[in-house]
Amino acid sequence: MKLIGKIIATEKVPTTVDEFFFWTDKELIIKPFDVVKVNHLKNSVTFGVVEEISHITDSSSFLAGFISSDFGDVKHQSYTQRIGMNYVKAKVVGNSLGIYTPVIDGYPVSLADEKDVREALGLLNVKNPLPCGYIEMYEPPHNITIPVHFNAQFLIGPEGAHLNISGISGLASKTSYAMFLLKAIQDQQLNAKNGESIAYVVMNVKGRDLLAIDEPNADLLKDDKSIYKMLGLNSDPFKNVTYFYPYSKDLVTSTYGRKSDIESQLKLNKAFLYKYIFEDDKDNIDLLFSNVDDPTQTMESIVNHIATGQGRFGEISNWKDLLQEIYENTKAGKAGNKEITVLSWRKFFRLFRKTIEKTTVFSNSLSNKPKDRETRLREAIKGIKKNDAFVIDIAKLDEETQGFVFGDVIRSIYELKLGQMDDRNEADIPSKIVIFIDELNKYASKDIPKSSPILHQLLDISERGRSLGIILFSAEQFKNDIHDRVKGNCSTHAYGRTNAIEVSKPDYQYIPPVYKSMLTRLKQGEYVIQNPVFRSLINIKFPKPVYKQFKNG
Amino acid sequence: MGNILTLLEDASNGTCYKSYRYCADEEIKVPTINYEETQSLTPVKDRYGETDTTMKHSKSLESLSARLINNKPLFRYFLDGSRRTYKVDDIELNRRIFPIMAGQIGVACCERQSASQFKCKDVENNLVIALPSEANPENRNSELFFNNLKDKINNGARVTKSGVKFSKLLSYPSRKLDQYQDGENKKYEHLGIAIIQDEMIESEKKIVSSLTGKNLLSDNSFLLKDGSLQYKPMKTGEFKELTKIKNNYRWVIGVSKLFNPELFKDKSGKSNAAAIANLPIYHRTPAFMFQHDFEKQQYYGDYKFSIWYVRIRDKNRTESPFAGVVKIEKILITDYENESGLDTELVDIITANIINERTPVCYGKDSRWANHLYPVYLTEQFLKSKYLSDLHFLNLF
Repeated sequence: MKLIGKIIATEKVPTTVDEFFFWTDKELIIKPFDVVKVNHLKNSVTFGVVEEISHITDSSSFLAGFISSDFGDVKHQSYTQRIGMNYVKAKVVGNSLGIYTPVIDGYPVSLADEKDVREALGLLNVKNPLPCGYIEMYEPPHNITIPVHFNAQFLIGPEGAHLNISGISGLASKTSYAMFLLKAIQDQQLNAKNGESIAYVVMNVKGRDLLAIDEPNADLLKDDKSIYKMLGLNSDPFKNVTYFYPYSKDLVTSTYGRKSDIESQLKLNKAFLYKYIFEDDKDNIDLLFSNVDDPTQTMESIVNHIATGQGRFGEISNWKDLLQEIYENTKAGKAGNKEITVLSWRKFFRLFRKTIEKTTVFSNSLSNKPKDRETRLREAIKGIKKNDAFVIDIAKLDEETQGFVFGDVIRSIYELKLGQMDDRNEADIPSKIVIFIDELNKYASKDIPKSSPILHQLLDISERGRSLGIILFSAEQFKNDIHDRVKGNCSTHAYGRTNAIEVSKPDYQYIPPVYKSMLTRLKQGEYVIQNPVFRSLINIKFPKPVYKQFKNG
Repeated sequence: MGNILTLLEDASNGTCYKSYRYCADEEIKVPTINYEETQSLTPVKDRYGETDTTMKHSKSLESLSARLINNKPLFRYFLDGSRRTYKVDDIELNRRIFPIMAGQIGVACCERQSASQFKCKDVENNLVIALPSEANPENRNSELFFNNLKDKINNGARVTKSGVKFSKLLSYPSRKLDQYQDGENKKYEHLGIAIIQDEMIESEKKIVSSLTGKNLLSDNSFLLKDGSLQYKPMKTGEFKELTKIKNNYRWVIGVSKLFNPELFKDKSGKSNAAAIANLPIYHRTPAFMFQHDFEKQQYYGDYKFSIWYVRIRDKNRTESPFAGVVKIEKILITDYENESGLDTELVDIITANIINERTPVCYGKDSRWANHLYPVYLTEQFLKSKYLSDLHFLNLF
């Protein structure tokens, strides 16, 4: 391959076990994350990943530059350009013979070929390969494109689990990347002879983003299709998809989906409308209050009070009566439970009424006509099968109800996997369920009250999900806001475009400065990936989504 | 065995003193500046160095240089030679003490292929040792003796191990100092350094000759040599050699950063340093014709120079009135040139090109920045990078 420079080791800047420097021609185009190789002892090859590139000249000061322009004449020309060169700092990522003594001054540095890059980055012989994007390296004519694979066992267990994607809205395309990975997993599982049984639950939190993932993307270009082919995937949309819309009488009050679309999905038996029925769901009322600060645990006591049917709550059978009964408790001088003050009841009433009156999903009963396709989410999840992809729409619900639904979903999945829903044959339950939730910061940010039941559930999943087979794919704008234990348990991190303030936070401390500023300039469809299998951070790209995109949200 | 000094002792029947070794360039005040600019030049009376004889004081080349900046530069090759000398030890020969001098000689020629491409064309790096001529115990076969001794040294363990080679053993005259006429060279050290300097000049000539041999120099690709062209012919001083040298220098210009302004004499022979000091920016002096002083140095042979000065930096911006002025010289080749001087048009073009070479500057890196031309500076830096470190070199002995 092409020689591009030689190693420099000086008194002040030596080569070390971790890094080395080399000079290159000032006109050579090379960029951070490119892999270079250096001949080393015993005919071995040391691989490095470019971190920083600097251009220097022999000018001793800015003043010399000014004087060289004939004392500040901007139009001045010279016969000779000042002598200059680039020097590059590279991080050592490996040696073909495992020799880690520092590389030697004056040794040649060259670009790597495809096999070298794979070896350097740890992409060679990846077990259980799962495509996660591709790398583009160098400038023509030396440019190479290499598909990148995760070891699936490090993404969806059992070796490592959970994925966290961060990046600012719109520019980072977090949802697209998560869906790309889910698509890759589903594609592989559908084509595998002895595939695992995996099911997918996706929360739609924004517009109509994920409300047509089983319909093809008409805008998918030939180039994108060929990338899917290179990665060993087909460019068909998701299969076995079921949509769950929040129930409302006219269908559209609680969703951004178009009425006609929903109707046709219902007709094709691809969709359900979900409802919450008092009798079955009263135990989950706590989820409505997960974002309410409750230092004295009065909210929790009230929820307990209701769920266990204390006072007159045992007689209640629908949401309306419940609200009425709570209202009764807010009246001054009301005899009964002395432990909970009237003030607390009033607060509870205020919060509860806001949600119950605004939301259409709280209902008295399910329709008994199959064509109405009404269901309880808990029931639906109980019946989830291998390769199923459930899309649960919560985009238009108010924040409390969103939390309530999400909390209910993860609670149901947790119970399903723990075998608490005992009317199902153990072997039929998918061995793994992957949950994707955008805007994780709503449920697991550092500011969420410690008592939040959803936070508890998420912590449980991130800490024990790997062994239970519950895998969390989460996304948020600012990683730094997320609870340490939730992100700490993620084996894979994807960093999309973010802003300068975010990269100055402690979460990004270990990232070299040049990569940090690159994070602020990443293009749409570009990610920096950290995974235990890779020897260094990898800058990958991924193709456009295979499913229908709604241009107007 | 294998120690160079031991080998020298053995071969010369002398005794080494294991005295303190040092880099002579810093310790001994060497008359290097004067060396290049031989005092023996005298103006040729009533002759001009250029064809236009009407110019009285100076002439501005600002507009010509501004016009030429968009053309291909005249200078394509840049030559610089330098040497670093060391006093390695003292040796006793016949009850007299002589210094053993050694040196690293480097001569480099760089080519400017384009504004951004500056490459080495030719480089000579030589290590030499200078011994008194008396080191040869025999009266004859001096060359053979020093050659054999050189081979022995090169085969010695320490030299072999470090992978370097000495290219020559030089001998400096070991006449008693009081018999030495020249007032300046009063120490043997200086004689040793002078002989090493001569060797460097030889290397320079060799490179110029090889460039000419390859037809690389022409009327649109000149060679710019750092320093003066006033070579003294080597030892033999044969006329034939001088003619050859002369012809090699058809497309060569010498540019000196440092010069003795007192030597600027008009055609009547009067010194006129003030004219240089007061030279306006981008102005050049008239060119005068010079030749060696036959009375003093008869063996210098018959060649004449055109010499003129140009100010390339504003006097207000430099630290002395002479900083910012460079001296340009060219050997006169044809009979016509010898008679009437250089064509004024050529003098102007050369000068305008030198003016255009004034940037970039090595300000902050070299105190002589105002007089330095950047390509020459680069060549000098390239040469320096090729030297062995002083410690490394001294420890070969």
